[in-house]
This record gives sequence, C-alpha cells and structure tokens, in this order.
Amino acid sequence: MTQGASPSDLRSVRFRREREGGWSRLEALLIRAEKSGLTSLSFEEAQDLTATYRQTVNSLSVAREISLDQALLAYLENLTARAYLVIYAPQASIRHLFGKLIIYGIPQAFRRSIPAILISMGFMLLGGLIGYTLVMGDGSWYYTFVPGSLAGGRDPSSTRAALEATIYGTDDALLDSLGSFAAQLFSHNTAVAILMFSFGVFWAVPTIALMVYNGTVIGAFFAIFAKHGLGWDVFAWLSIHGVTELSAICIAAAGGLLLGQAVLLPGQLTRSDALRHQGRDATKLLILAAIMLVAAALIEGFLRQLVQSPGLRLTIGWGIGACWLAWLMLSGRGRRA
Amino acid sequence: MLAGVADAERTGAPRMRLFRRKNKTPVTSAELHDAAVAKSAKKRIHVTPPEGVPISFARASLGSRVGAQLLDIAITYGTLIGLLILVFWMSSLNWTAVTTFFALMSFLIRIPYYILTELMWNGRTLGKRIVKIRVVSANGRRLEPHQVVVRNLMKEAEVLTPIGLFFSLSNTSGWGQLITGLWLMLTFAVPVFSRTSQRFGDMIAGTYVIENPRLQKTVELTDRTKYATQTFEFIPRHLDIYGRFELQSLEAILRQPAEPKRDSEIAATIAKKIGYIEKVAPSNSRAFLEAFYNAQRAHLEQRQLFGDRRDNKFYSAEAED
Repeated sequence: MTQGASPSDLRSVRFRREREGGWSRLEALLIRAEKSGLTSLSFEEAQDLTATYRQTVNSLSVAREISLDQALLAYLENLTARAYLVIYAPQASIRHLFGKLIIYGIPQAFRRSIPAILISMGFMLLGGLIGYTLVMGDGSWYYTFVPGSLAGGRDPSSTRAALEATIYGTDDALLDSLGSFAAQLFSHNTAVAILMFSFGVFWAVPTIALMVYNGTVIGAFFAIFAKHGLGWDVFAWLSIHGVTELSAICIAAAGGLLLGQAVLLPGQLTRSDALRHQGRDATKLLILAAIMLVAAALIEGFLRQLVQSPGLRLTIGWGIGACWLAWLMLSGRGRRA
Repeated sequence: MLAGVADAERTGAPRMRLFRRKNKTPVTSAELHDAAVAKSAKKRIHVTPPEGVPISFARASLGSRVGAQLLDIAITYGTLIGLLILVFWMSSLNWTAVTTFFALMSFLIRIPYYILTELMWNGRTLGKRIVKIRVVSANGRRLEPHQVVVRNLMKEAEVLTPIGLFFSLSNTSGWGQLITGLWLMLTFAVPVFSRTSQRFGDMIAGTYVIENPRLQKTVELTDRTKYATQTFEFIPRHLDIYGRFELQSLEAILRQPAEPKRDSEIAATIAKKIGYIEKVAPSNSRAFLEAFYNAQRAHLEQRQLFGDRRDNKFYSAEAED
C-alpha cells in the first residue's frame, strides 16, 4: 500500500500542481494592489483578483483537509489573509465618510436621541434651579458650589461695578489674556464633556450627578449677578457662547445616558452587545459635542468681549443655537445612513 | 505498548480539568506536547471572512504595539512642535497666544491623526506601518469607520490622557503621579492578560491588532525526492508510529539545508523508533529522511482521507480515551 502511492501521485501534490497558477496570479495582483492601490488595476484585473481570491479561499479550505504540508498551509493562509485585507478594505474616501457623517450620521443620531438630550437638559436645569434658589437665599452657598479657579474674581462680595466690569470689560490686558482663557476653558469643557460621556457606563449615575452639579454652578453664578439687578445682562453675556457650549455638554451627557441605559436596561441583548449597539449613536453625539465645543471656544475667545450690547449678544448666541438646531433637525431626512 | 503507558498516565485528567483548568502543570509528555501546541495556538487569532473559511493571523506582540504607539506620539508631537516653532519664528506672537495655539492644536492633532490614518490606510497609522502591524475587524467584515473612531476615542482615555497627566504632574504632587502611574499600568495590563491581547478600546470596537501576514513561497518537498523513495522501503508497521506533528517537524528540518551530523542522529532515532531493521549509512541519512517523509506523508494523508486524523504520536491513546 505504501509503495503503491508514489509521492508524485499524492492527492495533495496533484491538488497543488493544479491550482498553483491561480495562487501566483493572485500574489502578483496583490502586490500591485498593495503598492499602488486597487484603482491601479484594470477592470479585468479587479475581476480576476476577486475570482482568484475565492479560488484561494477554497484551496485553503481543501488543503486543510487533505494536505499535511505545513509550509503550503502557511503559504495559503497568509496569501488568503493578505488578499482578504485588500479586498475587504474600506472603499469610501475620507471626504465621502465625513460628508456622510455631517449630512446623515450626526443629525439622525441626534434625532434618535432627543429623549436622552431632553433628560440631560432637565437635570442641568434642575441643578440650575437648586443653585439659584440657594444662593439667592444665602450668598455663602456660592462658595460650596463654585470652584475658585472658575470664579475669576466673581463672588458674592463683589460690588456691582466689579461685576459689571467682568461683563462689559474692555481693558487691553483682559482682552490679551482672553485667548488663553478661552483655551483653558475649552480644555476644561472638553474634559467635562469626556467625563460626562465615559462615566455614563457606570449606570449613568456619575453623568447625572455631574449634570446636576454643573447646573448648580451656573445657577449660583447667575444668582450673584441677579442679586445686583444684572440678571438680564449676565444672561446675554452667557448666551453668546453658552447656548452652544451648554448644549454641547448636554449632548455629551446624553451620550453618557445612552451608555448608562445600555448597562441598566439591556433588553434582549447582553450588556456588552447593548453597549456596542448604543455606542453607535453615543459616539456620534460625542463627535457632535466636540464640534460644538470647538465652535464655542472660538466664539468665546473672539466674540464675547468684543460684542458689547446685550441685544446683539442675545441675537448672536441664540441665532447660532438656531443654526445648530436647523442643521440637526433638517439634515439627512428621508434616507438612512 | 506506548498506548498503554500513556493511557495510564493520562487517567484522571478529565476529572481534574473540571476543578483546575488553568493551573494544572503538565506532567506526561503528551500533556507537555498539548501545552506547547496550545501556547503557539494562543499567539494566533482567528477571523472568519464572509467566505466562511477561518483565516488565522499572528497577534501583534506587545513590544511592537508599544513601539508603534511611541512612534505615533513622536510623529504627532514632533509635527506639533515643529509647527509651533515655525509660528513662533514667523510671527511676533506673545507667549500666551502660543500656549493657546498649542492647547488647541494638540487636541486637534491627537485623536483625528489616529482616526484619519487608520481610515486612510485600512487600520494602519504611520507608526503601525513602520512596525508592520495593523488593525482588523473581529467579525471578519471590513473595518468600519465606527470601529476606528471608537477604538481611538478610547485611546484618549486609556493611553494619551494618563501619559499627558503623568508628565504634567511631575513637578506638583506625588499622589497625582502615583494615580496616573497606576492608571497607565492598568491600561498596560489589560492587553497583557487579555486572551486576544485587546485593550479596552479594541474590545468595545471589536477589533484585533495583528501582524502583517508575510508570504513565503516554498517548493513541494516530495518533488525533489523521487530517487530516495525508490531506495528505501517502508511497510505500514513503520508508518503507524508517528502523527502529523512529527511529520511537520521533520518537514521543517528537511526544508533547512542538510547538516550531516544532525541528520544522521535524527535518522538513527527514527529508524530505532519505527523498528526499521536495515542499517542506514550516515552518508545516506538525508536520503533516508526524505524517503521516510514521503512515505509517512502519503500514509498519513491517506488515513486522513478516511477520517483517521493522527495529530501526533499519542493518537492511539486519544482514540481510546
């Protein structure tokens, strides 16, 4: 029996001899596609690439059954792997992807997540009300809420004139440091947004707590101005960038809430699958928040102290807000991304 | 005879596995062999493309991943600092404006760099290209933009933030440094202990980091050994001893250039083990090995076609288990 099967008659050897041509063709095509891109192949060559790829996958599957030639198996395995990486490569260009994200991805994710966004805004408002009422009742509460680094010399002991100066200040040193203040605030806000988002995984509790806390800071801040009858002015002053910035933070927090929801109420899925599923929208919300924060930083750095009238501040702030809303509500309707 | 010994050594193994799956130290040679095979299998990752035939990739080693990460950091921050020097040189900006610029740019250059490069080159940043590793999707489909974004957003929390904090806190507080040090160690420990060496970002995105597969075409061994096959003759009894593992070890040796001393030793060992009576002259040992390889492979492949897979020389013990 042993001598009957002469090695050249081995099934695996015959198999190799029959198919080797296809493998070499695939290898040559692959090397070209890897070097100069799939677009360098002609139509026929591209067809041949997929055809020889399927043949090779098939060969690999057969060889695993009938051949004990380790080197051949390794060669086929690596050839298939290389071809797989070329054939199943992303085919959309960066520009196309970015366009799709802006036109369809983000607005659709936003519309799907409106309940979560409203809830996170609700928590911030709740915090704002708490902070406002407490500081209106007793000014010393202010120190409990507002960290020194953010107060910027604005606290309950400030005089009306001093407070007014921070809203309508025009002195040069201040303007000079505005840029760096904006950058500092921007990195602070980004950190807050990322925290809100990623801590959502812990059953959404830290996200909600942070939202309420941030609300109290704003409420307390608002209250000290309101005590001096500057409520309207500070509202305008906050509006110009706050509309964008606070919305961005609410949106990032809504992403966190989605993650928390996946952990709390995974439904029929396992928790990790639910996280992965919700993660799609949540990530888009985070990207949206990042875009809005960059915009807010630019507005904050260059427009806030340059535009002085409350009316104009309000118009610009809420006008930009309306633009965001129009994009998010109207774009990408009627087609799923 | 061998089967009996191995069987005796191996009794009780299934029962023990119920209780201690990981820490069982291999005792018998069969178990040592299994452990070695399992260890080398752990270094590979299986991905099933839509064609339905699983492909295995070599896992990227931790060293190459750290190397790629350091290269990427050097590239991004090198560009950033170069840009900064250029801006500082060209314009008369004051120091605060430059730091502002630095803060904004470092945010803009960091995550987008990783996302854009991995999208553009199918899972390879510049650093990964240099060390020849890449990201693939675990589900066997093409790498989706979403996966790239998620794994690199997590990179910010896992790698870049702690590194940044570690260096910025170096002159202020020991506690902060301790915490960020622990944080870094934790992110480093996750891929070390993960069975598929994934970091958190990889787990959430469903991606693996693998080494670029390298092609090495080889000749068909049996083609060059027709002469040898006619010189030596093997009977089925000779060929029922070894299995696939031994055959492939022999193949590895035969693919290396001849080394008379080693070859004659191996030939002697094999002849003794299989009970080959005729004397094999040392000058003929390479030919003997080649002939034995051909005969053994023909035999094993034929057995395999009939559904009798012999993974290694312990196959008969396993069959009786």
